[in-house]
Amino acid sequence: MNVVITPAMVGQVVISGLLSGVLYGMVALGLALIFGVMRIINVAHGPLLMLGAYTTFFFYSTWGLNPYLTVPLSMLVLFGVGWLLERTLVFRVVDAPELSSLLLTFGISIALVNGAQLAFTSDLRAVEYLTGSWMVGPFALSKSRVIAFVFAGGLTAAAFLFLSYTRLGKAIRATSQSREVAMVCGIDVGAIHRLTFGLASALAAAGGALIAVIVAIQPEMGQIWTFKSFLVIVLGGAGNYPGALLGGMLLGLVEQLASLFLTTQLSEVVAYVLLVLVLLVRPTGLLGGRQT
Amino acid sequence: MKRLAVGGALGIALIALAMYPAYGTGYGNRAMLQIFMWIALAGSWNIISGLTGYVSFGHVAFFGAGAYTAGILIASRAWSWPMAAVAGGVAAGVLALGIGGPCLRLKGPYFAIAMLGLNEVLRALVSYFERLTGGGNGLSLPTLDATVPIYYAMGLTAIAVTLAARLIIGSRFGLRLMTIREDEVAAESMGIPTFRHKLLAFLLSAIGPGIAGALTARDQGYIEPLSVFPLATTITMIVMTLFGGKGTVWGPVLGAVVLFVAQEIVWARYPYIHPLLFGAIIIAVVLAMPRGVLGLLQLKYRLPRTI
Amino acid sequence: MTRNAVGALLAAVTVATAAVLTTALMVDAQGPIRLGASLSLTGTYAKLGKNQHEGYQLCIKELNAKGGLLGRKVELVVYDDQSLPPTGVRLYEKLITEDKVDAVMGPYSSPITEAVANVTEKYKKVMVSPLAATTSIFKKEPRRRYIFMVISPAEGYLEGLIDIASKRGLKTVAVVNEDTLFSKAAAAGAVDLAKKKGMQVVFQEAYPKGNTDFSALLTKIKSTNADVIAAATYFDDAVALTRQMKELNVNPRMYGVTGGRRPPEFYDTLKGNAEYIYGATQWEPVLNYPGNKEFFESYKAEFKHEPSYHSTAGYAGCAIYAEGVKRAGSLEADKVREQLLKLETKTAFGDYKVDQDGFQLAHKMVTFQWQKEKKVVVWPDDLVQGKVLFPTPPWNQR
Repeated sequence: MNVVITPAMVGQVVISGLLSGVLYGMVALGLALIFGVMRIINVAHGPLLMLGAYTTFFFYSTWGLNPYLTVPLSMLVLFGVGWLLERTLVFRVVDAPELSSLLLTFGISIALVNGAQLAFTSDLRAVEYLTGSWMVGPFALSKSRVIAFVFAGGLTAAAFLFLSYTRLGKAIRATSQSREVAMVCGIDVGAIHRLTFGLASALAAAGGALIAVIVAIQPEMGQIWTFKSFLVIVLGGAGNYPGALLGGMLLGLVEQLASLFLTTQLSEVVAYVLLVLVLLVRPTGLLGGRQT
Repeated sequence: MKRLAVGGALGIALIALAMYPAYGTGYGNRAMLQIFMWIALAGSWNIISGLTGYVSFGHVAFFGAGAYTAGILIASRAWSWPMAAVAGGVAAGVLALGIGGPCLRLKGPYFAIAMLGLNEVLRALVSYFERLTGGGNGLSLPTLDATVPIYYAMGLTAIAVTLAARLIIGSRFGLRLMTIREDEVAAESMGIPTFRHKLLAFLLSAIGPGIAGALTARDQGYIEPLSVFPLATTITMIVMTLFGGKGTVWGPVLGAVVLFVAQEIVWARYPYIHPLLFGAIIIAVVLAMPRGVLGLLQLKYRLPRTI
Repeated sequence: MTRNAVGALLAAVTVATAAVLTTALMVDAQGPIRLGASLSLTGTYAKLGKNQHEGYQLCIKELNAKGGLLGRKVELVVYDDQSLPPTGVRLYEKLITEDKVDAVMGPYSSPITEAVANVTEKYKKVMVSPLAATTSIFKKEPRRRYIFMVISPAEGYLEGLIDIASKRGLKTVAVVNEDTLFSKAAAAGAVDLAKKKGMQVVFQEAYPKGNTDFSALLTKIKSTNADVIAAATYFDDAVALTRQMKELNVNPRMYGVTGGRRPPEFYDTLKGNAEYIYGATQWEPVLNYPGNKEFFESYKAEFKHEPSYHSTAGYAGCAIYAEGVKRAGSLEADKVREQLLKLETKTAFGDYKVDQDGFQLAHKMVTFQWQKEKKVVVWPDDLVQGKVLFPTPPWNQR
């Protein structure tokens, strides 16, 4: 069937795409940090997001807390989890070839997912908090997505400020550029790694907390976020932190536009083809990152 | 003397395997078939990633490509399954040549992610072209009970892959591949045409999975995108190779047998938690024995490269 | 002389011992009837596979309490197929050829049943497949002789919705579905039926499994102004779709899903936004099928949660198999098959009657509508419990 596509429809879809895009960007920023600082591809990123969503659900259902208030709580919890993971397992593969980190984080990822299935069962949970949308002209802005957008934007901005202006943030960037020189400058690289992993987990958790009101929560929900975060990093350029945000928005837009002009099924194909194309044509990312 | 002993042992093992279907149960045949499949997969992955160090993180794409090629040929064009298996191998090889070209220019983690992306692209494309592949419905093959012939075919594939690995590792070509793994820049400056070597290794590593996929499709009688393109299969073949010994000839064989048997036993006893246990095994292998069993033995007892 | 006597005595003792041992063994061989199955205890279908497992378990418990089957106790042997067809295939081979179970029951879901049926047909084992809803499994050539369907086929899930719509004079339908076996069949059935009733299908699109953002899809649907939206979904996509319909202010006059049946989750999740939605279900606790209420209570007491239709289908499937064995008076596949083909009965799950391919003919899908926090059965006419609230009011008027 041929649906006539009007500019208003395109506009609506662009808005939706940007709203999700910022969320993608925030979550991908976490992955970018891990890759930039530790040269590790963290396949467990999605499951960490999933745990963030469950943490929010837990606070919401046990104590009736406003889910948005639980965002910092989830972030804190997962910061701890990430810190612990680095301290016990991940630090061992920091200097190893990428195969080791890929496998290790994959092992962690299935352990986390299966653990969640055992602990929480596969019952779908959801947080019913804010539904409906605000109308701006002919466009509908989903309330929950707008709030997620605001939070994600705020957190990403805070992350950038942290990275650019605080001593710790600069230490992270220094380690990201050259570990040897950072060590020579007296930076405790091990501590930086733990901090980075914790921070990345916290960002993933924030993503999970924010989408807990949008989608159904179940143990496998994170997998697709891992893939999307990879995509975003490739688009934005590895190690390019602002690139993660822009890459996220680009992905959001591409997905929705492909879904509108083609079919929703094809939008999945388009996203992955884009990944492979960008890698082949401009491996440093559309916005320029680092080779390796 | 030693050579004769080893050769004799090998010969006996092969004869025993050849006679097995006469005594084995239906389940036993299928299980052995699976082991052969894993040997072919792990051994093939070893050829590209074990030797050159380029981590093919989407290697199951060749398996899926072979499965669907054969599936479509058998279901809609009534090809015989042996011909379809060959076609599966050819399709996988063509795919490897096509994407190897651009992909092998990528370094380290980028190559890994590109292969992962490729796997997903194939899966999504197969789902999309429904009329050809059945899409989300899956593809159902005409019913045929060919488990025993396929047992032999898969066995031959496993033997072929292991033989290929043996020949490559024992040759100059293999040495050059390993040089690429150690230091690609140095290899190039020594005059090794690295790109061509990588591409050849990549091509050889795709054929085995392609044929294995085709045979599996025939044996199962039903395939769907999610079951022939799963990341878990890539991970499993990697872990098997790592466990046995990356870059060795018999490492993937050892890893495939040990891990498959372990999985079957764990499944039977711990239905609800085996993914957790599998994850733990992966972590243990990566952290405690990245060289793998044979790798460690090689180091300790100065075993030859071609073990 | 003595030696011969001793020899004779030894021989006699040996023979006697052998006789005693063999009879002992034979008595043991009369041991429990072992029923085998692989179920999705982990993986994508984990929750539903577990419910089916519990259904089987309750059925067997009740059978044993009433004296077992053919005078023997029944035992269930279950493996986890991880929601993967190839694993299921291997496990059924194991059950049949190594564990040598006496009979098998079906796994969860159509894809796995399809793959596994090749195995059970090869060994000529009767398999009642309670959780397979895809017609093609039962109609595949060459026809399968030993599998039996219990639930209504996928194609009928949206039948109630379309039927009510056409009776109310609605003209246009938009159909969306997840791109997996069951949803595609349900969508195809809906499209077929709509066309037969003279309605126009103005939009049809599939979305990949796991998709959570339907903005573009819904924007397109909104522009068609379809009277009816028929969505062949599972649970989480139904939730996402509904929420986003509200956000984008998409207001069809009827909106039905195939995943909205599980109380209380669907309503708990969507709260007021679930009102007026039509759902389809294979079974409801309130239907007055024989033994339904008792089953509901026993299941709740045993497993501490309410059964879903998967539980009930598993329970009924096992009971139907047992009935077939009882009537045949034996476990022999061909005899049991004959009985199952002839059998017409009503269980807690509903009607059972199959055609010569084992395809379910009698079981009825039930369409309900969420009205004031309750599910009210509105179709088919002979099971109706309340009137339809029509048309569905626009979101901003609720």
